[in-house]
Amino acid sequence: MSTPVLEARDVSMVFGGLKALQNVSLKLDEGKVVGLIGPNGAGKTTFFNCLTGLYTPTTGSVLLKGDVLPGDPAKVTTAGVARTFQNIRLFPSMTVLENVMVGRHVRMKQGPLASIFHGPGYRKGERAARERSSELLEFVNLPGIEDELARNLPYGDQRRLEIARALATDPAVLLLDEPTAGMNPQETEATRRLILAIRETGVSVVVIEHDIKFIFSLCDSVSVLVQGQLLVEGSPEVVRRDPRVIEAYLGKPPDEVEAEVAAMVEETQHTKAAETTTETTKPEGEQA
Amino acid sequence: MSTLLQQLANGVVQGALIALIALGYTMVYGIIQLINFAHGEVFMVGAYGGLATYTWLVPDSVKDVWYVSLPLVLIGGVAVSVAVALVMERFAYRPLRNAPRLAPLITALGVSVFLQEFVRNFYPNATAALPFPGVFVQGQLVLGPIRVGYSGILLIFVSVILSVLLQTYINRSRMGRAMRATAQDPDTAKLMGVNPDRVIVLTFVLGAVLAGVAGVLFGTYLNNINTDMGFQTGIFAFTAAVLGGVGSIRGAVVGAFIIGLVKSLAGQYMPGGTQYDYVWIFVMLILVLVFRPQGLFGEPERVRA
Amino acid sequence: MSKIANTVKPFARPLAIVGGVLLIVAALLPWVTFALNSGNYPDRATLQYFDAPFQVTGFRWHMLLLGVLVLVAVFAPIPSKARVIRSLGWGGLAVALINSIFITTEGGGLGAITASDGNVAFGGIVGIVAGLAVIFAGTGLGIELPAKWNIKLARPWAYLVLVVTFAAVLFAVAQTLTAGGQGGPANPYAGGLFLSFLGFAAGLLTALNGFGLIGWISELSEKHRAFSVVVLLACALLLPFTNAGSEYWMTVAANIGIYAATAIGLNIVVGLAGLLDLGYVAFMGIGAVVAANLSGAAASKVGIDLPFPIAAIIAAIIAGIFGAVVGSPTLRVRGDYLAIVTLAFGEIFTRSAQNNIGGLTNGANAIPGVPPLNLFGKEFNETLSIGSVELPAGVLYYVLIVLLVAGVMAIFANLKFSRIGRAWIAIREDEDAARAMGIKTGKAKILAFLVGATLAGLAGAVFAHKNGTVSYESFKFLESVTLLAAVILGGMGSIPGAVLGASLLFVLPEKLREFSDYRLMIFGLALVLIMRFRPQGLVPDRHRRAELAGEDVGGVPVDEVHEHDTKGATA
Repeated sequence: MSTPVLEARDVSMVFGGLKALQNVSLKLDEGKVVGLIGPNGAGKTTFFNCLTGLYTPTTGSVLLKGDVLPGDPAKVTTAGVARTFQNIRLFPSMTVLENVMVGRHVRMKQGPLASIFHGPGYRKGERAARERSSELLEFVNLPGIEDELARNLPYGDQRRLEIARALATDPAVLLLDEPTAGMNPQETEATRRLILAIRETGVSVVVIEHDIKFIFSLCDSVSVLVQGQLLVEGSPEVVRRDPRVIEAYLGKPPDEVEAEVAAMVEETQHTKAAETTTETTKPEGEQA
Repeated sequence: MSTLLQQLANGVVQGALIALIALGYTMVYGIIQLINFAHGEVFMVGAYGGLATYTWLVPDSVKDVWYVSLPLVLIGGVAVSVAVALVMERFAYRPLRNAPRLAPLITALGVSVFLQEFVRNFYPNATAALPFPGVFVQGQLVLGPIRVGYSGILLIFVSVILSVLLQTYINRSRMGRAMRATAQDPDTAKLMGVNPDRVIVLTFVLGAVLAGVAGVLFGTYLNNINTDMGFQTGIFAFTAAVLGGVGSIRGAVVGAFIIGLVKSLAGQYMPGGTQYDYVWIFVMLILVLVFRPQGLFGEPERVRA
Repeated sequence: MSKIANTVKPFARPLAIVGGVLLIVAALLPWVTFALNSGNYPDRATLQYFDAPFQVTGFRWHMLLLGVLVLVAVFAPIPSKARVIRSLGWGGLAVALINSIFITTEGGGLGAITASDGNVAFGGIVGIVAGLAVIFAGTGLGIELPAKWNIKLARPWAYLVLVVTFAAVLFAVAQTLTAGGQGGPANPYAGGLFLSFLGFAAGLLTALNGFGLIGWISELSEKHRAFSVVVLLACALLLPFTNAGSEYWMTVAANIGIYAATAIGLNIVVGLAGLLDLGYVAFMGIGAVVAANLSGAAASKVGIDLPFPIAAIIAAIIAGIFGAVVGSPTLRVRGDYLAIVTLAFGEIFTRSAQNNIGGLTNGANAIPGVPPLNLFGKEFNETLSIGSVELPAGVLYYVLIVLLVAGVMAIFANLKFSRIGRAWIAIREDEDAARAMGIKTGKAKILAFLVGATLAGLAGAVFAHKNGTVSYESFKFLESVTLLAAVILGGMGSIPGAVLGASLLFVLPEKLREFSDYRLMIFGLALVLIMRFRPQGLVPDRHRRAELAGEDVGGVPVDEVHEHDTKGATA
């Protein structure tokens, strides 16, 4: 079993008196896509922040390729972990291309002196960065809008731009925070395919999402976070059927849920029957 | 030793003055995250307002009767301070509520420069320092080796009393609750029915009242004022607010007294004397900002992602 | 806006024609009824000199031109007609209003511009009415974007156009500098005439912008950037040969240049990285003090006399080091507090200089007698003869400073479109996201301070020699405010903006000497007004325009675009 590319071991995060995370562990193997789900406020974004060095866990550790994660977000990105944000954080008055080129910052070498004098080495570097950025924009399917201001893009395009920008840092691990929030089914499907394509390039991915169908159709493994604690972790099939997960999401024990679902099905059938017959019957009273 | 005690006493008086102004800085920053550069000028116009009231509005017959003229001068000074603060808030800051950070900062700077120069140019003879009447009991209290002017004692009393009143108001009253709510989470406060504009105006007014009082009492204590006074004292007051933790009333007062004492002692004992007392204050400011940016009573700011 | 437009619409065109005609009439009428206290108002505007009515000069000529252009705009098939007409109207109103106000205040009362002692002079009033009429007419004709031209030119033609344009710019600059004449007691109306000229120029320029000419030329110069830069530089160097080529104007231009170079340096700190530095002028002061001490001046404590280039480099480096020192608290300090910290450092410098720290600054006595620069034996403050042409004294300083400004502008441009420039802008827009992209924000901010301070130090070194004296008085806090005002007025982050801002803020006090006491008050007010009404400055940088004014890229406020049926970029 090779070292997981990213591993969280018993991470706890305490703010003042609030236990945001308790003993959360996660293993991300190379080339896999892991989903992180849970109700709002469960601590998913907080966990991401621990994975990117924005927060330092109160206890526990995070390992990147076997080494302890640096404590500073900039160093973490240099080491190969990139992320997107829940509330898109692009650089609004920079163009699309410039946003992605900021992502290239860590992989470019030109220092300030070179920037002042724009020698041949500098220009080569800029050109390479520009080409790579254009490539990435093609990859996420945002061609031809390089000079648009980021703030003028429609919402779906902004999300994809943020992903392109994160990919520009040549990460080993990509953390996506609710990438399909607010998207319609077509856009969601396009995002699913994009993540699969990203996986093909060798990048390992962790995705936070609320869209269960999306997660289950995409991820190799799913972790469920509830109130700061890891409830269950496993393959999508296992997690989907786990009664605790159903309860956590719907708030009721599974047998009650089954009964309600059965009742709903019955009522639909009754209503259909009532419509096709000519006699008026009182509809069944049970409300689901 | 007697020098030390004397400097301590002076420091306390200075601290009391700085506290009145620091409170204005800390409250406004707590609510709208703006360093109101012009707050020092609100203090200054309060002093000039008081002087103007004394010169032209207080009848000659009562000019020497301090318990009549002092309240009048205070009212005059505070009125001017509050008026200036209201205009400032309404026309310079409110339109920029949602602008990027740099905009209100630059505006505040502009207001500060404008006010300073306006008074210097348009108040009669204000290009040089002007004498300010001693509208209080003249003379000094002598306690062993320490001598403190009665005006200084007044400053200390007024400062402490007003601080306590302010703290009580903010903690106990309905508007005070509204202020605290807006400071912590303006959107939710709005949802709870709090009118943010009213709250902000109130904050500015309270700060201006304190600054106006400070201006008049400062004039009474030192017996002269000049248009530079806002700038100088403003920096000390802001440092005090940061030292105590911006947004904290208690912090501003404690910070102010610390700054007052440091200023006094540094002026006496550090090389360079009073010419460089502000240097030591700035050094303190930088150290605080680097090592404990939340100040003594503030909470460390959490980065939100 | 649209309510006015709709009311005026039906008779907009005739109104414009009437307005244009009135502008011409106003130009030909007398403006002043009697001789004013300080002498007759210039340009034969006074009734008593109304003997050659059609000889119009100065501001009256400007009015005439504007009127004619309005009529041309109405009848000729030009693009963005409404916008052009409206701009011309504003120009006319500005000229009429400014001159009227000056006449009234100088001559004591409204009688000077209406009727007095049986004399009648309505030029000013007619001009104001005319200006308003044209503005309303323009509004009624519609709201339009500035026109875009699609004329493509082959390289040789493009070059020709650029040369002609920049020559025209040179001429315009010379005119602006000399408009109204030298300020001072001998010429009491200089201020008014200068402001009037500015109003006229602004109206004309915005009209040309609406017409589409300026946008087209910008694009052309972007395409042929290297050529444009060379031509622009050559034109700048030719200024001494124009009618602004006197010693006085050379001095003014040189001083503008020094402050412009410093303002560009500040633009790196404030405009690119978004760090509000309120003590910036201290770096210029440090550079000046170091240069003065290394120049062999009698009052210098350090008895070395180094050749200027070396002294300047040392001065720049030392200033840069201080910049890094001042910037280091920025690692942990939030943006708002940074302003106070930099203010504190600035004050520390000023006070230390005032108290002669280390014996280097000579306190209140300053360091006088800094020798003028000298190249190949030619002292920079003498006149220079090229063939049979004698150039004014100080022209070599001017040349040096033009090169300095050009160099600083090049550095700024290179930085802005580079890796570090993008990092600075990213930090300014969203520091946490920038950090998440791997940018070491602390180091980047210190670097911004360092670069800015180095450039200021360089400018300070030149200042020391040009000025001949280095005193702490030149580097007080209020000078920092002026520099900041220049950057903001010109447009944060904009390359030509800082030069324009510095020019205005330096030339205006020269011309408007009578207002010198109110200079700072006006600057403070200007800061407030600019932030309120035009935060992106006069020459907006593309990023800033979007960030601060909520406009779409076309350059028109977004709600105006929605009123129109254009396919806007925004949803």
